[in-house]
Amino acid sequence: MTQSLAKHTGSHSRKEAKDIHRVEINYRGIFQKRLGYNISHDIVYAAHSEGKTAFSNGRYSDDPQRNGIPCANFAFVSKSLGEEELEAIASAKMDVDEADLVLVLDDTLAKGLEPWGHYGIRPINQKVVEGSTILFVSRRKPEELKKLLEKKPFKYNLAVLPGDRSFAGLWYYRDDNSDIRFLGAVARIAPQVLDIETVVNYVRNKYKDEKRVEAAKEAFDSVVINEVTPDDGMVWPYEKPVLPAWQDFDEGIVVKSVKRGFKMGPRGQNRNPDFKRGTSKTQRPVVRFDTCIKCTLCWYDCPDECFDPTPDGLFDINYEYCTGCGRCAQVCPVNDCIVMVDELKFDNTKSPWEQYTKNPEQYVRVMEEKKGLTREVPSPVTGKGEQFIELKSSVPFKAKGVK
Amino acid sequence: MAATMKQTKVYDREELASGTDGVAQAVRLADVDVFAAYPIRPYTGVMDRLAKFIADGKFDAEYIIADGEHSQFEIGKHASSVGARAFVGSSGTGWLYAMEALATTATDRLPVVALVGNRALDDPGAFGVEHNDAMLVRDLGWLVVWVSTAQEALDTTLIAYRVAEDPTVLMPCAVAMDGGYLTHSEHIIRVPTKESVSKFLPRYNLGKRVMHPDNPVSIAPQINEDWCMEIRRQNWEAAKRAKEVIYKAYKEFNSVFGSNYTNPFFDEHMTSGAETIVIGMGTVSSAAKVAVNRLREKGEKVGFIKLRWFRPFPTEELRKALSRAKRVAVIDRDFAHGGPDDGGVLYNEVRSVLFDAKNKPKVVDFIAGLGGREISIEDVMEVVSITKKCKADERVHWVGLRERKTGGTHVRMKR
Repeated sequence: MTQSLAKHTGSHSRKEAKDIHRVEINYRGIFQKRLGYNISHDIVYAAHSEGKTAFSNGRYSDDPQRNGIPCANFAFVSKSLGEEELEAIASAKMDVDEADLVLVLDDTLAKGLEPWGHYGIRPINQKVVEGSTILFVSRRKPEELKKLLEKKPFKYNLAVLPGDRSFAGLWYYRDDNSDIRFLGAVARIAPQVLDIETVVNYVRNKYKDEKRVEAAKEAFDSVVINEVTPDDGMVWPYEKPVLPAWQDFDEGIVVKSVKRGFKMGPRGQNRNPDFKRGTSKTQRPVVRFDTCIKCTLCWYDCPDECFDPTPDGLFDINYEYCTGCGRCAQVCPVNDCIVMVDELKFDNTKSPWEQYTKNPEQYVRVMEEKKGLTREVPSPVTGKGEQFIELKSSVPFKAKGVK
Repeated sequence: MAATMKQTKVYDREELASGTDGVAQAVRLADVDVFAAYPIRPYTGVMDRLAKFIADGKFDAEYIIADGEHSQFEIGKHASSVGARAFVGSSGTGWLYAMEALATTATDRLPVVALVGNRALDDPGAFGVEHNDAMLVRDLGWLVVWVSTAQEALDTTLIAYRVAEDPTVLMPCAVAMDGGYLTHSEHIIRVPTKESVSKFLPRYNLGKRVMHPDNPVSIAPQINEDWCMEIRRQNWEAAKRAKEVIYKAYKEFNSVFGSNYTNPFFDEHMTSGAETIVIGMGTVSSAAKVAVNRLREKGEKVGFIKLRWFRPFPTEELRKALSRAKRVAVIDRDFAHGGPDDGGVLYNEVRSVLFDAKNKPKVVDFIAGLGGREISIEDVMEVVSITKKCKADERVHWVGLRERKTGGTHVRMKR
């Protein structure tokens, strides 16, 4: 038996039973692994507590042990189906075709995701269907996030739960009520999955702590819901790859690789076009080329080899490949020379060195505006959360650079 | 006396658990003494969970992280030989790296229990399920059982210890489960109490074979040709005895835990009066059962058998169950290139079972779901439809394969 190629190349949309609510939970590897699991588990437990059938799983091909890589968990809830039927329909696949509710635990995922090589960068709202909702936890307005999504031919909703992304470690979850707030938000936007009464009872029984119940209620009240129409969003450059039939590729598991190559200047190194990994980042390093002392440490230490040497002895960054790990900012010996800045403040991955050389003063001014004066002090695995310091002023522009 | 008998609470609580969580719960409840580990997806979930149990003070065991699967399985074997209840496990290529230790554990007749989180063999490095890894021990003297739900994973791991450690058996047991579909899918299960588990599972006792300074023994010395054949014959006898022990173990499991395992070896779903019976192992069962339900609603006489124990193979039982049908469709989540009729492993096992049957149904093989490819409800319905209409010499079909029907046989990719 042969199935049509369409089945595994994407265009199919199987008629699923109507009474299945598919929740996709998008999170970042390592930093949000526990949070993602807590949310999918809580949805299942809470639904189960009111007699619904529910189960959860993770997207099996993901690598949640890798820094920042986009990952997904799923929760499936049904009022009428039995366990076996629900599983046969919903769990037969490693990924969902469509989701009735998409949760996004980090708003920078709105710029797209590339969890795996050779499949391209896909939009965060790839799985939404007509009438469904995509929910971000974010400090941004729905209108700002809408612009980043893929244009869809139908109406659906974009909801924002006001708040910060919650980051922690691989094995622990920073107990900041983020998981509970998401449950409250789900009750508001998808009462058919969980209503607020169920959430309140579930949280109360689980924690015996009224403050946590309040967190769920607060989230329920503070969600902002905005309609997304076919006019919103952008035409996404993502093309779903067409996978070949067994007769149509080489035997012996041999694939094309990257040709060795190096030239001085931006984009000078040959890199793998089929797996860029840039969507792993929530922050990007911003370089003050004018104060750079050309010590080479950023270029030398970058685990993803994102720095390209330039003819003037500086180091350009290829943001398409930068995973935002922050290593360069850590090793840079110059005060405030490389600073990590929220990825959503940028709308392109153009060479920063080219922008700098074109107009050094303007580049520095624009970058300092994006940086602001708040600096995050890295506090890995202390469990204390982020610490911030406020600068009085930014480092002044050095017109002639550092000799 | 009856008035003073204390009722033991059988189940502690409900919990959301993946297949590997289910196994980890069973390892904790069985009070395993030595857990040897080396990470590989999808088996790793057990490591994570047991480490957490130990960290939380809920479980006390020697947790040994080995330098590779070969050492890991040797540790399990040696622990078992000194009378410690041991648990090991791996997946795909890791399971193969342990192959030498796997063979000796079986020939030394040490009742280690292992989890095989089924994974495609390398290469390519894929995570998805294929049954070839676990099947590689099918002829070595391992007991091999496939589970298809998280609850069954928990239950079967307890049963595995009970059967493996039975003084008349003493064989290692592999609990196999589909990588991804079961190891990483979480369902609500019932977790039994430790008291009820201790009612079902006695302490491990290797008897006079135990290696101890007070009981000096040497295990598996080099022998000459005078001995090997008799040793193999002994092991065959144990494998035959295992079957009765399995029946007994499930009966007692049902009575202690109130479970409903009617036939330990396989589950029959709507096979009564079925003209076509689909048979498969692992998580394909949920899609297959729903497909059978839908076809029955349309009046088609179809049934499904979920095979649980692959070693010992339920020869007589399966012969009886399958020879009632006109057609049997075997779903093989494995491959056996160049084997009889180029069919899968399960297909040829099923065919040989039916060779002596008075009524021989037509047996058709479906290679499906390799490397984690989905097997949907619709796929199983198509399996049934092909089985009903295919010609006698159409024996093996590939399901869910990307195949080009026209053009040349082999077109090279442009470089």
